[in-house]
Amino acid sequence: MEKILVNESELISAYLHGDEKAFATLVNRYKSKVYTTIYLVVKDSYVAEDLTQDTFIKAIKTLKEGRYNEEGKFLPWILRIAHNLSIDYFRRAKRYPNVVFEDGNSVFNSLNFAEDSIESAQIQKESHEHLRSLIKKLPQQQREVLVMRHYEDLSFQEIAEATGVSINTALGRMRYALINLRKLMSKTKYAYDTNLYINAE
Amino acid sequence: MPMTQTCTSTQNEILRYIYGETSSSENVFIEQSILSDNELLDYYLDCLELKEDMDKISLSPKESTIQNIMNFSKSFRPVI
Repeated sequence: MEKILVNESELISAYLHGDEKAFATLVNRYKSKVYTTIYLVVKDSYVAEDLTQDTFIKAIKTLKEGRYNEEGKFLPWILRIAHNLSIDYFRRAKRYPNVVFEDGNSVFNSLNFAEDSIESAQIQKESHEHLRSLIKKLPQQQREVLVMRHYEDLSFQEIAEATGVSINTALGRMRYALINLRKLMSKTKYAYDTNLYINAE
Repeated sequence: MPMTQTCTSTQNEILRYIYGETSSSENVFIEQSILSDNELLDYYLDCLELKEDMDKISLSPKESTIQNIMNFSKSFRPVI
């Protein structure tokens, strides 16, 4: 069956005329982008689920109340909502610190079932899963620039303005983020190879 | 290691180049720099590889989260 990719403006217009399926199409099209962006900032899957929900609810309210005026730019708009909510979460978390483990996960996230652990152990073999865990280890300022540039698709100039630093500082943070990612990758690769060598003996 | 070299201004330009933020005249300079300097070439290739790897990270929220969103959308009536 031939798929027709309807553009955002048409979907938003249809939604505002009562077509809920049009909004479902937008949600399905962008849910991963929104969730991934939030998750890489807050580093907690439970919080990321909540903030993804809050992001879309905020979008629904803005759209239905007739306050949306960024026609044709739905994705950058909703990613900006997602980013702002993630940063708000950080500010709140600083005031009311949560109990977290060394890897940054909330203590509540450890309450998984056995099957989840087995499943996640299998998934961990995937390289993108590994890279995701390394991104979570980056210092907050570096991670923020990396997520804003790579996943939210903001330019370095826009990042500089949004975070109140010069473009060179934004670029520097991105540079260090990539350097640190590369270092972390080579460290873990070395550990992995060593284990293999020991096991082979 | 290539990514720890200190030629920071050119490395910054390479980052902007990779993300498509440079002008065509800047591109010529950056491409010449990359081709004439092995360390910058390594840096460029490392960045490119990381960027491609990061593109592969795509997570999805739970179906129940999406259902909550859609339920809210159906029931929400704006006060006008």
